[in-house]
Amino acid sequence: MYDDELDRAILALPLEEPPADLRDAILASTVYRPAFPFSPLEVSLLGACAGVLVWLIALLVTTDVGPLFAQVGDAILSGAGVISHPMTLAWLALGIVVAAYLSVTMQPPIGPPRTVGR
Amino acid sequence: MAATLSGERDAFAGLVERYDRAVYHLALRTLRDAEEARDVAQETFFKAYRSLRTFKPGAKFSTWILAIAYHACCDRLARRKRYAQDELADRADTAPGPEAQVLADDDARRLRAAIDALPEKYRTVITLYHLQGHQYEEIAAVLGVPLGTVKTHLFRAKEQLRQRLSQTEEEARS
Repeated sequence: MYDDELDRAILALPLEEPPADLRDAILASTVYRPAFPFSPLEVSLLGACAGVLVWLIALLVTTDVGPLFAQVGDAILSGAGVISHPMTLAWLALGIVVAAYLSVTMQPPIGPPRTVGR
Repeated sequence: MAATLSGERDAFAGLVERYDRAVYHLALRTLRDAEEARDVAQETFFKAYRSLRTFKPGAKFSTWILAIAYHACCDRLARRKRYAQDELADRADTAPGPEAQVLADDDARRLRAAIDALPEKYRTVITLYHLQGHQYEEIAAVLGVPLGTVKTHLFRAKEQLRQRLSQTEEEARS
């Protein structure tokens, strides 16, 4: 066989027919693949929460739980002590009153939504 | 391609429609296994879809997709070599390919059987020559080798093909 003849024969060789379902399989694994329900940020947050949970469980299992609970209880009580201080309560009450006053007096006007002029 | 990059589903589907045969053909000729070729074709488009952002504007999609397919084939051949030692790239395969086992009764079959019997590197370069025509630069880009290597491999591949074809012609006559 001469070079030109061989060249022509190679270039004229029909392409192999792929399996009938190949195209569908490719499309199903690419463009029609269902989107992952979580965003990367949500996945990292869930991962972080899971990590903290595992760490807490490991801490509870490996350490003496009694003093730990006592420490947590003390922290809660000291926090409650701060909140129950008369001055804190007074500021809290003032804040609630102001918030209530503003929410009553600054109601938006009731009516149809504003249309944007064309 | 621009439409695909901007996230249009149908545009990528169009590219699949246009190149799936070429990708499958390259994988089949390189691996000589229909099942593996199917897997490689699917894997190739999956990889391409996931790394569309890395596609350089101005580059040829055919070259890019065939390069991905070729590398996937190389990975599989390397795995095969590791586990079975049944594919030796630098030596001619003495065992006939699946098509060589079938009696070659027409020219296309005979040519395919002869291509199948070539060593892997010549088989691939001939298959790419078949797919890309005389665009040697494209073939070099797909294989990641210098242009001179492509020309040398192609020359030797054709030499071997010519020998095998005349051999089978003589066998058919006698």
